[in-house]
Amino acid sequence: MTDSVTLEVIRNACIAVCEEMNANLIRTGYSPNIKERRDCSCALFDAEGEMISQAENMPVHLGAMPFSVAAAIDRFPPETLSPGDAILLNDPFYGGAHLPDLTLVTPVFHETADGDTELVAFAANRAHHADVGGARAGSVAADSTEIYQEGLRIPPVKLFEGGEPNESVFDMVLSNVRTPDERRGDLRAQEAANQTGKRRFLELVEKYGLETLTEALDEIQEYSEARMRAEIDELADGTYEFSDVLDDDGLGNEDLRIQAAVTVDGDSVTVDFEGTADQTEGPVNAVLAVTASATYYSVRCVTDPDIPPNHGCYRPIEVKAPEGSIVNPEPPAAVVGGNLETSQRVTDVVLGAFAQQAPERVTAAGQGTMNNITFGGTDPRTDTPYAFYETQGGGFGGRVGTDGMDGVHVHMSNTMNTPVEVLETAYPLRVRRYELRQDSGGPGEFRGGLGIRRDIQVRDHEAHFSLLADRHTHQPYGLEGGEPGESGAAELETADGETRRLPQKSTHELPPGSTVRIRTPGAGGYGDPADRDPEAVRRDVRHGKVSRAAARAAYGVDVAAGAAAGVEAAAGEPYEPTDDAEGDDD
Amino acid sequence: MHVNEDARIGVDIGGTFTDLVTIADGAVRVHKTPSTPSDSERGVMDGLEGVAARYGIDPEDIGFFGHGTTVATNAVLEGEWADTALVTTAGFRDVLEIGRQARPDIYDFDAEKPTPVVERDRRYEVVERLDERGEVVEPLDEASVEALASELADVDSVAVSLLYSFENDAHEQRVKELLRAQGVDASFSLSSRVLPEIREYERTLTTGLNAALKPVMDSYIGRLETRVAEEGVGTDVKIMQSNGGIITADAARDRPVNTLLSGPAAGVQGATYVAGLAGIEDCITMDMGGTSCDVSLVEGGDPLVTTDVEVGDYPVSVPMIDIHTVGAGGGSIAWTDAGDALRVGPRSAGAEPGPVCYGRGGERPTITDAHAMLGRIDPSRFLDGPSPDDAVRQAVRDHVADELDMGVAEAAQGILDVANANMARALRVVSVERGYDPRDFGLVAFGGAGPLHACKLARELEVPRVVIPRTAGVLSALGLLISDVLYDYSTSKVRPWTDVEPRTLAESFTTFRERGSDRLDTEGGTADSLQFERSVDLRYAGQSFELTVPVPGGEVDEDTLETVVERFHDRHRQRYGHAYEDEPVELVTVRLRARGVVDTPDLHPEPVEGTVDDAVRETRDVVYDGRTHETRIYDRRLLPTGTGFDGPAIVEGTESTVVVHPDQAASVDEYGTLLVEVNA
Repeated sequence: MTDSVTLEVIRNACIAVCEEMNANLIRTGYSPNIKERRDCSCALFDAEGEMISQAENMPVHLGAMPFSVAAAIDRFPPETLSPGDAILLNDPFYGGAHLPDLTLVTPVFHETADGDTELVAFAANRAHHADVGGARAGSVAADSTEIYQEGLRIPPVKLFEGGEPNESVFDMVLSNVRTPDERRGDLRAQEAANQTGKRRFLELVEKYGLETLTEALDEIQEYSEARMRAEIDELADGTYEFSDVLDDDGLGNEDLRIQAAVTVDGDSVTVDFEGTADQTEGPVNAVLAVTASATYYSVRCVTDPDIPPNHGCYRPIEVKAPEGSIVNPEPPAAVVGGNLETSQRVTDVVLGAFAQQAPERVTAAGQGTMNNITFGGTDPRTDTPYAFYETQGGGFGGRVGTDGMDGVHVHMSNTMNTPVEVLETAYPLRVRRYELRQDSGGPGEFRGGLGIRRDIQVRDHEAHFSLLADRHTHQPYGLEGGEPGESGAAELETADGETRRLPQKSTHELPPGSTVRIRTPGAGGYGDPADRDPEAVRRDVRHGKVSRAAARAAYGVDVAAGAAAGVEAAAGEPYEPTDDAEGDDD
Repeated sequence: MHVNEDARIGVDIGGTFTDLVTIADGAVRVHKTPSTPSDSERGVMDGLEGVAARYGIDPEDIGFFGHGTTVATNAVLEGEWADTALVTTAGFRDVLEIGRQARPDIYDFDAEKPTPVVERDRRYEVVERLDERGEVVEPLDEASVEALASELADVDSVAVSLLYSFENDAHEQRVKELLRAQGVDASFSLSSRVLPEIREYERTLTTGLNAALKPVMDSYIGRLETRVAEEGVGTDVKIMQSNGGIITADAARDRPVNTLLSGPAAGVQGATYVAGLAGIEDCITMDMGGTSCDVSLVEGGDPLVTTDVEVGDYPVSVPMIDIHTVGAGGGSIAWTDAGDALRVGPRSAGAEPGPVCYGRGGERPTITDAHAMLGRIDPSRFLDGPSPDDAVRQAVRDHVADELDMGVAEAAQGILDVANANMARALRVVSVERGYDPRDFGLVAFGGAGPLHACKLARELEVPRVVIPRTAGVLSALGLLISDVLYDYSTSKVRPWTDVEPRTLAESFTTFRERGSDRLDTEGGTADSLQFERSVDLRYAGQSFELTVPVPGGEVDEDTLETVVERFHDRHRQRYGHAYEDEPVELVTVRLRARGVVDTPDLHPEPVEGTVDDAVRETRDVVYDGRTHETRIYDRRLLPTGTGFDGPAIVEGTESTVVVHPDQAASVDEYGTLLVEVNA
């Protein structure tokens, strides 16, 4: 038994190792996905492949990385590994999540007194690469039907052997991607980050001795497990069911149901997705690692967020997902959107089930999508090809005591946006409007957060555009009497003024001068709107977040004309009578 | 800068004490007086009177008055600022509220985004649009501006932030003119002046904060100037800004957002200076006070400067000394969490009631109490009443030892180990994570608690040498006296480096240089003490992180551009481990720093004569890492210049206590600085 001081010191030291790996990866990474959006994570695992600590940027990576290490160990058992090896993988059906996420797992060997080497840990990191080949630049194709169209599929392979790069593997990977130099740079950065992790971990072995350290790492996991179990124990026993749908898969298959039965039994939780829709043709199938990750995230959110994240947190949680369903598909299902969209709905469903036993611990549904958009074409200013990918925030769910945040990434995503000035400087696009959507937050005692409106115009050239979003049909749910958030929408306005609606998962060729208007969903409200403090309603009207009409209809609060002055009156363009302005329609 | 023979005084208002350092006739003198938070100028007046009474330096003798202020910082932390409006480009009024879309905490549903600096109904749009080169896409609709005048009649301050104002400020200037003409008499902050740099959220936020703080700073400085003048001080008040440079009071009134780290920046300046006197140009500074520990890195005698700092959850993008803060201070409280792990901080006992050993009613054990229990500090030295040893022991037992089923001494050591683990992480953040190896640096420790921890932390990070300044507790005030006058000018001009013409770059530098010269001239500068440091921020096209690269002196020509891009590749290789010489490079921002060099005073104290033995106050048992050693307790004031002694040792100064561990060796240099060899 390690004393609690040493435990706390070692725990801090392990976090510091992961943070240093992370800083190293972000500093040396080449692509903007790593450097600016921070779509990457680093972690340490013990010799059994159980997670010790993690530097967290992306929630969706959190619970999925252990699957990568497990796959690496499965393919390369310890006796086949040597110092200086590093295993690369991205196969969603063998340790990965979706193809753009490349994970590198480095075994850490300790030299024993008699000169032997002993496997003591793994350093691992995952980074979202800007392109891994496949049918579409950026490898986030909204119209893929098989994984083969989504890019290069890499099972666990040794990218480094005995400290030397495996040039055959490098050649193989780099021959199949659109920007090989950038990929090589990012892979080198991933390797450098793991080397840092390895070096720092071995310093800990040196300092504390292997036996003490190993024992402490076990106890750190037991500590998290014990705290997790204590929190779960506070929840009432029982089985709680909830279901919601993905609107469609982009190929006409609609209302794809995700069903969860959450069973709390003493200090453990089982989440069973029996009843969930069969895997589908379009790219919204979420592999088990993604489903498990979304489930772990949800359970972590309803317990104490202060509990240190490591394998111990997951031990009380069992995930059952029927094979061949959209939450555990079989190859060759298309999966790129499973990580981006389906993961969000899994979170909505698991949190919805928890809401029935502990509504005070959850939020109403957030926007429930990442609103992925990709523009591509040739920049007329420089005559060079470009590809621009970004995701959009929306409403965060209302919760006990507080309104939901407006215009943020929710649940499984937490990347940063691209500044308008950076976007327009780098790409031949113009942002016409970027604002919060009035009346998009679900009414409630605690209002749901507002969605975003972002209008992007294509300048002087023809562009390829693809949209991968959800929640355009079914609205994010409210809780405890709160009402749903407004759904999302997308429209295309051509240069001659014609407007048409764009399906939420679709690809288009856009003529010069056309504008895509993206509206992201608002979030569900929490509690009966009639119980909302009228002062808060008046403040929302004053801020233009709720229209006077909606204040009257949803909250029964009359706000005098003039109280909402300023904003609309002063707005430059005539205020467009879109769904945003009409308030509580349909 | 003209340096006269008059006394110079640095005044730093901290949470607990207001520190005053004077330099007159070659002598450095220190005075402390309690801070008076409800009326902070009163503490300054008390201090001036104290200095006069104690050292005979009258207000009339003072020829330089430097001040570090927390007035802007406190206003931000408390969200108490002026009624402010924002005018922005049509379609973009929510940029300020949406921010960068990331939420503050991944798992905590209760985490909130910071409140927008300007509320939504106070954010107004005007019709206009520029493109990325500053060309007018849509002209400014003047009627849309004039229509705002009645709305703005009652605000104190107006921020104007239009897209691409850093490329072309004509629309922002015109908005101000039109509103002024319509009778709006609020003060204005234009983004093209406050932060003419790319990235609309950061620019708008910084401009909005500046506007919100202007009336606060104006009234504070007004009160201070009046009181100081009434006291008889004949010179103008100068203010420390966050980049480590001194500016005039009027400049601070105009740009309060540049003073958010005024006090801490002064501390780093002071520490850098003292380390430099000891021959250490590369150092990590560590300022550990009652509630937190500020850490920063100094390379080649210059503190690293960043434009990526958060103040009270707001990312403020003006140049500031890169200071990383952790919630570990002498008053940080030790506690056990739901899983029986020992935690320290971030909650602090503060100045009131303070640690248990202060005997002022504190009941929760703190870091300071752990030191007291292990014999490192002697509370009776700063207490009138009986030593509260029993109370300290009881607190550690009740709140830590019993909970964790360990001995009291072991628990006290545990509190220190856990706190050190937190701080070691912070030291790694500023060094290792920025690409620096701590083994190449010295560690300068100051603040009330810094010297208690430094020698242990240095061993942990393999820092070879620790520097503990004689005036460790008042380095911020000292920093005010030795810092140069600095004005930073910048503008973003994003374009391929191959499109940059020497002439246009030279024009930017010339414009900045003229503005800088004018500014320094009006402050009584002389030409031979002015310096201009030119630099550009470059990146590989498509990347989003820039590196600042110095531009060599002389005329800007094609060769200059070539040199600069080579320096960029070199710097990229140094910081990130690789460079891409074939990749296109992009210019992002052009910068110039105007520096009025201040003659630094001679800090030689009167040499202390005698022997090391004379300085021994007593001998007592002190615990280091679980082992008890009989330890000599030295009186720092009596340690003779140029002598040395071995650890274990405790050195008691007037402001802080130094713990020198066994196997370490200490010496006193000619400036009274204590130098500790970590692995002697």
